[in-house]
Amino acid sequence: MSRFKDLQKNLFGGTTSNARQFGMIFTLVAIVLLFQFLTANNLGVGFGDGLTLRSDNLIALFQQNSYILILAIGMLMVIVAGHIDLSVGSVAAFTGILVAKSMADWSLPWPLAILFGLAIGAVIGAWQGFWVAYVGVPAFIVTLAGMLLWRGANQYVGNADTIPVPKGFQDIGAGFLPEVGPDTGYNNLTLLLGLAACLAVVWRELQARKTRKEMNAEPAPLWVSIFRMAVMVAVLIFVTLRFAGGRVGTSFPISGLILVALVLIYGFYTRNTAGGRHIYAVGGNSRAAELSGVKLKRVNFFVMMNMSILASLAGMIFVARSAASGPQDGLSWELDAIAAVFIGGAAVSGGIGTISGSIVGGLVMAVLNNGLQLLGVGSDRVQIIKGLVLLLAVALDVYNKSQGRFSIIGSLTRPFRRDEPSKPAPTSDTGNEPAKTTVAG
Amino acid sequence: MRNFFGKTVAVGAIAMLALTACGSGRDGDTDSGSGDSAKGFAANSLIGVALPAKTSENWVLAGDLFTNGLKEAGFTSDVQYAGASTTVADQQAQITAMVTKGAKVIVIGATDAAQLSTQVTAAHAAGAKVIAYDRLITGTPDVDYYVAFDNFKVGQLQGQALLDGMKAKKPTGPYNIELFAGSPDDNNATVFFNGAMDVLKPEIDKGNVVVTSGQKDFKQIAIQGWKAEGAQARMDQLLTSTYGSKELDGVLSPNDTLARAIIQSVKSRNKAVPVVTGQDSEVESVKSIVAGEQYMTINKDTRTLVAQTLTMVKALQAGNAPEVNDTKSYNNGSKVVDTYLLPPVAVTKANAAEAYANDPKLAALTK
Amino acid sequence: MTTNAPILLEMRDITKEFPGVKALSDVNLVVKAGEIHAICGENGAGKSTLMKVLSGVYPYGTYSGDIVYQGSAARFSDIRQSENAGIVIIHQELALIPDMSITENIFLGNEPRRRGAIDWKSAQRQALDLMARVGLSEDPDTLIKDIGVGKQQLVEIAKAFAKDVKLLILDEPTAALNEADSQHLLDLLRGFRERGVTSIMISHKLNEIEAISDSITILRDGKTVETLDVKADGVDEDRIVRGMVGRELSSRFPDHTPNIGEVFFEVRDWNVRHPISADRQVCKHESFNVRKGEIVGFAGLMGAGRTELAMSIFGRSYGVFESGQIFKDGKEIKLKSVADAIDNGLAYVSEDRKAIGLNLLDDIKTSTVAAKLSKISHHGVLNEVEEYDAAEAYRKELRTKAPTVDEGVSKLSGGNQQKVVLAKWMFTDPDLLILDEPTRGIDVGAKYEIYGIIQRLADQGKGVIVISSELPELIGLCDRIYTVFEGQITGELAREQADPETLMKQMTSTKKMQTR
Repeated sequence: MSRFKDLQKNLFGGTTSNARQFGMIFTLVAIVLLFQFLTANNLGVGFGDGLTLRSDNLIALFQQNSYILILAIGMLMVIVAGHIDLSVGSVAAFTGILVAKSMADWSLPWPLAILFGLAIGAVIGAWQGFWVAYVGVPAFIVTLAGMLLWRGANQYVGNADTIPVPKGFQDIGAGFLPEVGPDTGYNNLTLLLGLAACLAVVWRELQARKTRKEMNAEPAPLWVSIFRMAVMVAVLIFVTLRFAGGRVGTSFPISGLILVALVLIYGFYTRNTAGGRHIYAVGGNSRAAELSGVKLKRVNFFVMMNMSILASLAGMIFVARSAASGPQDGLSWELDAIAAVFIGGAAVSGGIGTISGSIVGGLVMAVLNNGLQLLGVGSDRVQIIKGLVLLLAVALDVYNKSQGRFSIIGSLTRPFRRDEPSKPAPTSDTGNEPAKTTVAG
Repeated sequence: MRNFFGKTVAVGAIAMLALTACGSGRDGDTDSGSGDSAKGFAANSLIGVALPAKTSENWVLAGDLFTNGLKEAGFTSDVQYAGASTTVADQQAQITAMVTKGAKVIVIGATDAAQLSTQVTAAHAAGAKVIAYDRLITGTPDVDYYVAFDNFKVGQLQGQALLDGMKAKKPTGPYNIELFAGSPDDNNATVFFNGAMDVLKPEIDKGNVVVTSGQKDFKQIAIQGWKAEGAQARMDQLLTSTYGSKELDGVLSPNDTLARAIIQSVKSRNKAVPVVTGQDSEVESVKSIVAGEQYMTINKDTRTLVAQTLTMVKALQAGNAPEVNDTKSYNNGSKVVDTYLLPPVAVTKANAAEAYANDPKLAALTK
Repeated sequence: MTTNAPILLEMRDITKEFPGVKALSDVNLVVKAGEIHAICGENGAGKSTLMKVLSGVYPYGTYSGDIVYQGSAARFSDIRQSENAGIVIIHQELALIPDMSITENIFLGNEPRRRGAIDWKSAQRQALDLMARVGLSEDPDTLIKDIGVGKQQLVEIAKAFAKDVKLLILDEPTAALNEADSQHLLDLLRGFRERGVTSIMISHKLNEIEAISDSITILRDGKTVETLDVKADGVDEDRIVRGMVGRELSSRFPDHTPNIGEVFFEVRDWNVRHPISADRQVCKHESFNVRKGEIVGFAGLMGAGRTELAMSIFGRSYGVFESGQIFKDGKEIKLKSVADAIDNGLAYVSEDRKAIGLNLLDDIKTSTVAAKLSKISHHGVLNEVEEYDAAEAYRKELRTKAPTVDEGVSKLSGGNQQKVVLAKWMFTDPDLLILDEPTRGIDVGAKYEIYGIIQRLADQGKGVIVISSELPELIGLCDRIYTVFEGQITGELAREQADPETLMKQMTSTKKMQTR
């Protein structure tokens, strides 16, 4: 065992999905630093003056991609449950046009319009969930139909018009935390937010140590905990100062705030609640889940409905940022969201994946996109590169799995490791009668 | 544990305060504003050009002209096209990236003119000048200039040419025509249409010209995304529903791509090709005009438009106010944008050789 | 046939090991040309493994021992090679494509070609010829899904003939057939024998074996017990049963003194239909009961409907419920969903751990609590510490071999996986546990431990139902045994009355033999 692997295990926990996440975070950091270097190089300035980590760029990055990351949250749950949702872009577009119209034509106040939008998402989601869960039509088909249906509905309602939305509404997509309090040279609310995040990191680490102790399990060594906290707090402080120190009037975006809140809520839901665990159970082995008392239909209905609600939210955020709902909203969003989830380590067959992994996966794509644009690479080549990255990320994962290894790091350090040979799973498929499928009395 | 927690918090707080204290200069909102245009900027500054997806030859040509023109003038250029399927989101990200890179002027050929206001505002706030190229960006006061061909004039020329062409074929009316318009998300599409109707409406009212299908409303005749297949499908459908026995004398088409699609549709039914208008002087359409199929096109020489834009960029660089010739007509919903309008030229078979004399590629076709 | 016919196939000292389990050890099989050779043995005796070795499913090199076929050593590395040599297996689950025609199925993977394209004309001609040989009169363009199981079986055999078969192996050929179709098939096999085709038949239906076969090889626990010459040795069903089950039973089970209380669980007149073919009734008027602290066995052949009965009781998780009542502690309970069943103290440990018992992506602790998350959650939020503690307690109690409860269940051996499944259901605090083939695919040591767990559960006053195809297991473990045949309960035997011969008779006949 290399020291490095020990460290990885201590820092990120020993389980396979954590190891995979470690690989993704490592990749993300590497890509960020790479583009920081390349952009600096391009301008002929020092590393510190590269464009990628500049305040305005980080803010823009977050603001530009929050809607895709919100979709990725819902998509993760759909994919973990063993389904797929191709309709998210169309659902987003349809909600966007209805919400924009509701404000323009019926002068609905914008807070009500947001609720209206979420309600549309819920209704659409209930429709799709019904077909998937209760009729048993594969989600691929239901949402392929939905993709056409809601796109058509968008064009029918919107007449392909571009409908502007009022200022208050625009804030959910284009707004920032306001400037309050004394002039510190930074946005004060963002600083507070950063401080809260740092405290949360420390609290969580201590809580985790306490939990390990209560389990009578060996907690990670103290120095590891401190090191881990120090790294995370340092990163948080750096990011906070970047967000707080942008041009006056800009700070942490509201859409980013919505995203963070959703990540926390859904992260908790998928990790720590019975409902969340049922989703993994259904995706891992639906028959076994059913025989363990999981209400299959309810779970499937929920994930599909939830996806459409989040798609509606994403659609509204995009419309808000674009200041108008247009006929091209939502085009090929589903692909970005699905790519984020798979790059983030979810399994195509379901049952595996995490919210945080998908967010990291989405950020990898976002940073790639942004970095290439900063380098002036055209959108044609950007697409080629993104396609290859998606393929390679998943291929590497498949390869690692077939080798009995799970982490990207593992494969990087392989030539230097002298591990025990990966042992075959001794699940004794012994010489009894061929395993009968489901029932053979 | 409690003690440990407390210490960690204290250390964190101190670290943050320390960093806060030494971090200083937060850029103000002030290094832009219209007042300081007199200062100009460095001659090798970055100029960003954001164009829509490469769906027509003109955008590709414009991109090449911008790249070369900016380079010749000594600027650093960043010319970007939106992706084919993710147009609006791409363009938003590209403009933001240009702002980050510190572009002094950003020229935008908008994909959806109403969905870029947030980015334009951010660009303006960061001190970049924004020139709307060909399509007027709406909903923001932060568009500095607009440069385009006189699109109302384009429409008028199209309408007039349609009448002239039909008259030349058949001296007396009434003439059966159909109307097509461009993409409803393109501000110009409406302007073209209104220009054309400015000429056609009196004739329609007189009964001299008949829109046989009755579809005269902009929403009925607009082709989403300027897509050829959209126009072809609509024409197919019109021929089936309306022109089983009737003769079609003319079609108002807003541009060449749609014109060719319309002609294609008519030809596939073995009907006589009517008088079809166009715009943009695309290679295929010029060939078609020379061959006697499409009746007319508009020459809005992309070279002239790009050259005029570059002139404006250079004026801004020198710290001068760029020349404009219309400060009244173009209201984008937030303000009246200073505009430089270029005159379009109608081209038929008769004047093609003369009109394209400056364009090596097209000139060859007219010989 | 004649005893001095040449030997077609000889398998010598075949040993095949899987991690942790020896599936075959020094098995010998001699098949003479032109005979019908039956292979008998309980489930798990190694019959199918032996046939997989023969046909190259387990390629040469993964087993030890020699195969001599037609006088020379055979070293098949895949099925294709064995088929080219004329050895064709017809599996119990037919390998036919329902939406293709008879002709297409017969020549699937073996299509007659002319200049690269499939020559359908010739295929059809040949198909008709082959169908005549197996006595199948149908339009060769009929889709497989439109003909009955019996005829499908014939198509499979025709398919084997299309490959120029010399040695035909049939795995439970009549298991899914009705009486008439079975008879037709047996006649057909006799006809093949006349024409010199050699057959190996694996079957549980001893009457058929007795009627048709020339020799019988009996396997038990992966070893050859004996080879009988039907005519010379005067073999009858009882003789075969003795060979199959005759072994010392006492030492394989922990000592246990049952402490049996009142009847607390009762099923009355239970009727269930097949989920897809609504005219097939899989449970017919079945009634039984379980006492507190009692281990009740369900004996029956494969396909008798034991699993169907258990699953249909467990919250209607199989089939279409028709009628019947369930009483627990004297009160009727309605179990319309698995959740209902769990809430009413039922637990069902499925026969197929991997396919429907476990989520193989999970680790031990998530698996342990999966069927009763409410026990470790407060207001829907899971408590990781309680989860860990519960899983750890069961790991220790059941002596599951794993470094920690964070270990993925896919990495465990069959026996330890089974312990996790048992833990999962013990965690739900059930009053009645239904264990379906609880020791399938588990080696002897782990079996002993599992028997001990089952006995401890009974001692805690729970009722336990054990469904098993291994008669010695039922006899050694259960206080009372019901026999099931074709969806009906055909008998009920107390432990003292139960012996393999009696059970086997009741398991193969609809005649009700009430012995108590």
